[in-house]
Amino acid sequence: MKAPPFHYHAPDDLASAVALLATLENARVLAGGQSLMPMMNLRLAGPDHLIDLGRIADLRRIEETPQGLRIGAMTTQRALEKSDLVRRLCPLLAEAVALVGHQQTRNRGTLGGSLCHLDPGAELPVVAAALDAVLHVAGPAGARRIAFRDFPLDYLTPSLAPGEVLTHVDIARAPANSGAAFLEFNRRPADFAIVSAAATLTLGVDGRITQAAIALGGVSHAPVRLAQAEAGLIGARASVSAWESAAHLAAQSPCDGDELYPADYRQELSGVLVRRALAIACQRAGGAAHV
Amino acid sequence: MKHHDIMPAGQVGRSVPRLEGRQKVTGRAAYTHNLVLPGMLHAKVFRSTIPHGRILSIDTSAAAAVEGVHRVVTGEDLRAIVAEPYFGPAFHDQPALALDKVRHIGEPVAVVLAEDPYIAAEAARLIVATYEELDAVFDEVEAMTSSAIVHDVLKPAGTFPDLKHLVGKRDTNIALDYQLRRGDVDAAFASADHVYEHEFKSQQVMHTPLEPMVSLAAPDGDGLLIHTASQSPSFVRIEIARLLGWPENRVRVKVPYLGGGFGAKLYIKLEALVAILALMVKRPVKLSLTMEEQFFTITKHACTFRIKSAVSSEGRVTGRRCEVYWNGGAYADIGPRVTQKSGFTAPGPYDIENVSIDSYALYTNRPPAGALRGFGIPQLVWAYESHSDMIARDLGLDPVEFRRKNILREGRPHATGTLMHDAEIEGVLEKIAERMNWSAPFDRGEGHIKRGRGIAIAFKASISPTTSVAIVTIAADGCASLAISTVDMGQASDTAMAQILAEVLGLATEDIKVIHPDTDVTPYDMATLGSRSTFHMGHAVRLAGEHARRQLDELAVSLGYAPGAAYAPRDLFKKKYGMQAGNIVGVGSYIPDYTSPAPKTGLSDNITPFWMIGGTGVEIEIDTQTGAIKVLKLINAADLGLPLNPKIVETQLSGAALMQYGFTLFENMLFDEGQLTNGSLADYKIPGLNDIPPVIENHIVDARQTTGPFGAKGVGESATFGVSPAIANAIHDAVGVRLTELPLTPESIFNALRAAKSQAGKA
Repeated sequence: MKAPPFHYHAPDDLASAVALLATLENARVLAGGQSLMPMMNLRLAGPDHLIDLGRIADLRRIEETPQGLRIGAMTTQRALEKSDLVRRLCPLLAEAVALVGHQQTRNRGTLGGSLCHLDPGAELPVVAAALDAVLHVAGPAGARRIAFRDFPLDYLTPSLAPGEVLTHVDIARAPANSGAAFLEFNRRPADFAIVSAAATLTLGVDGRITQAAIALGGVSHAPVRLAQAEAGLIGARASVSAWESAAHLAAQSPCDGDELYPADYRQELSGVLVRRALAIACQRAGGAAHV
Repeated sequence: MKHHDIMPAGQVGRSVPRLEGRQKVTGRAAYTHNLVLPGMLHAKVFRSTIPHGRILSIDTSAAAAVEGVHRVVTGEDLRAIVAEPYFGPAFHDQPALALDKVRHIGEPVAVVLAEDPYIAAEAARLIVATYEELDAVFDEVEAMTSSAIVHDVLKPAGTFPDLKHLVGKRDTNIALDYQLRRGDVDAAFASADHVYEHEFKSQQVMHTPLEPMVSLAAPDGDGLLIHTASQSPSFVRIEIARLLGWPENRVRVKVPYLGGGFGAKLYIKLEALVAILALMVKRPVKLSLTMEEQFFTITKHACTFRIKSAVSSEGRVTGRRCEVYWNGGAYADIGPRVTQKSGFTAPGPYDIENVSIDSYALYTNRPPAGALRGFGIPQLVWAYESHSDMIARDLGLDPVEFRRKNILREGRPHATGTLMHDAEIEGVLEKIAERMNWSAPFDRGEGHIKRGRGIAIAFKASISPTTSVAIVTIAADGCASLAISTVDMGQASDTAMAQILAEVLGLATEDIKVIHPDTDVTPYDMATLGSRSTFHMGHAVRLAGEHARRQLDELAVSLGYAPGAAYAPRDLFKKKYGMQAGNIVGVGSYIPDYTSPAPKTGLSDNITPFWMIGGTGVEIEIDTQTGAIKVLKLINAADLGLPLNPKIVETQLSGAALMQYGFTLFENMLFDEGQLTNGSLADYKIPGLNDIPPVIENHIVDARQTTGPFGAKGVGESATFGVSPAIANAIHDAVGVRLTELPLTPESIFNALRAAKSQAGKA
């Protein structure tokens, strides 16, 4: 089926986009359309107005800032994948973005589109959760910042007020002596993940872990941070048993299942992926290969 | 691969590139989807939302009021043109639109005709139907005894004499019960050293042709012209003529290339509806299904197979009982033929003295099931080749060795009593064992990555008796046109048939014109199905070519050439008619010998014109922590006689194997109370390029079909047979767990591993 009739708007600047979004009834932002357009064709979404952000040049950029990276919401996943800056400053994002859909969909799909759509199986929200990304939005009441942890409200529902648009995302640069890994499990390459795991670790001079972040995707409506597992790692020596403890907590973490992939299977996968991701992250942080 | 012999004229046996390849890759090939006729209306179907119920009301007023809608039609409206608009190849049980009752979710209930396809689609959403819901049955085994009855009375078509005993049967969901009895199976079990009994299930899946089903009917004088993506134009003509009470020659059916068929486009599907609609509105009417609508139109049978074997301590199978339950869905389609024609091979390609088979075609409230690349064989092989390994492992026998002890060899009787000839079961088994390096040590992996390997072999009998007719026309310049109703749906039949004709006439294959099915022009052919064309139409084409050749020879002699002297056909025409004029027409008609099985015992001394033999070997890797499975190597081997075109045969083998690979690892139509819950390609995943094994080998086993045209026989399905059990056997080999339900998913492997672990913990 084709999408129901809708009006298409393609503003050249952010102010016009915000104004359109704030004034038009039943309007949605088009930010690549790799999920929204199929949903419209399947009649699962029926906006009367689509406001395409694709012509707003300001929203398409990848910049180095003193803190790390600033990425425009309309930067395509393919641009992130090919960016040296991303690879250098945020290898976790580089690793994850290559797993998003197919090259064809990455050519169109955007960072902001993925973060605002919040598919539970999507990769980029998991990265944003693991890295404590800061989201910048613009709206009729002006601009504001939202920590990613406060961004998902519910299934496919971001914390955006009517008329608000995600403009860019700040991600802190990976610290020295740190490593990260992103792993996912799916039935076929390029499918949404059944479960995904992102892990970052920083090793101190004494070989102890000074920072750890673990995020899971596919287990709930939004990415889940494993605070208890992270706390358990900090101060611990990088070791197989440390990964096992974290994996154990991951496998105990509350999880939603569905007809295809029940909760207990997802929990088992969570444990396996967390253990493997931590081991890889540690190795990338310069830790011993055998752990 | 060995070098294959090329026939004297240099045509048969040569890897001629596909004749239509250039047209297809440059986007110039014609498909029914592209066809637009002046004044054409587009149809969109409104479908049932309940699995079983009586229709109380259908409110079409809102849909009819949409601007651009020409008319909205319900089942009762069709009766103005055809009083009993029920169709089907085996049973006349399927209404063109639901009448009185709906029997599955997605069944066509009404149809909107509009100038524009999108208007029709929008309007169809405005139709409202109410139903009195009835109890429904979805499972094939439950359907045997369920009080929910899908069809009040059985309505077998007159076409098949062996269905006559079912006429008028009431209050049953069993559309056909086929049985075979050979020897004394009870005695075999009583005296057996070992008895093994297992149950296997396979799931409902969809054909997923890249080109969804599409049919267009147009009034044509006092007749009808039907353009359709069909694998069986002759059957469409006969069935439409029957519905309308017309002679066949008032119905003209044209079929261009198909974007895949795989059995989905067989017999009659959308044609009855568009034919009646076109006569009703006196305009051309086109119905193009979406990919999603195909899930509601035709599928592959889900199946439950209970298999029990008596085995001697040396590992000889002495008796086998097979109970097979086919989930045919709401309409029989060709299911009863699957039940019988595949049913008799249920014991497998093994030499077993005592055999009992009961095979049941069942109605349920699911979308209908029909033929899908293998005609039921993959469901059977899934069971009997898993069973083979389970027996071998239990007896401590090597799986290849166990098969060597039991396979049917040349001259031995099959379960039906037919003696096996030209069936390289042994050749296929040994080729796979050789390519798998079976006797050499095998790397079993380490840590949480375990490796395993498995094989499976199988056979299929060509459906019989069926007829093919071919007409070859030699023009006055000596070039040849071949008129056949075989449908080239991607299997390259145009190329193969042109090769046969070119070989007979001494022409180049590339110079033969193959005329696509047009029932006004091309003669009868039973259908393009069951890998029958190479053998049946191949013979008809050979006969037509020989007929033409004979007439040319006679013409030459009558013109004064010495018998056997060389001539150029164009010179003969010139000489005979004084100018470039005239034709020679050669006709070939072929039907093989066949003996119908005896009704009570199912026995026959000539059950099939040829056997197709296929087998598969795989090497796999399993991640025991996640259940993830990787197939590292997929080896296919088949006996297809002598290959007419080795290159195309190879692609037939790999294509068939990969299709079954999807049905083995990925595809599964999921239902919730009859509602399909994954009915789009977003959720129903077929394998893509990233998902196929890194190593695929396709082997043509050294063989010759002595009764085949140029020693050849069919090959389109053979590589589907063994894929599922080979992978399940490899999983068992790798990690020691046995899966008995398809598909073989990571979570099913994981769950089996976990269950095995907890079992071991208890012990």
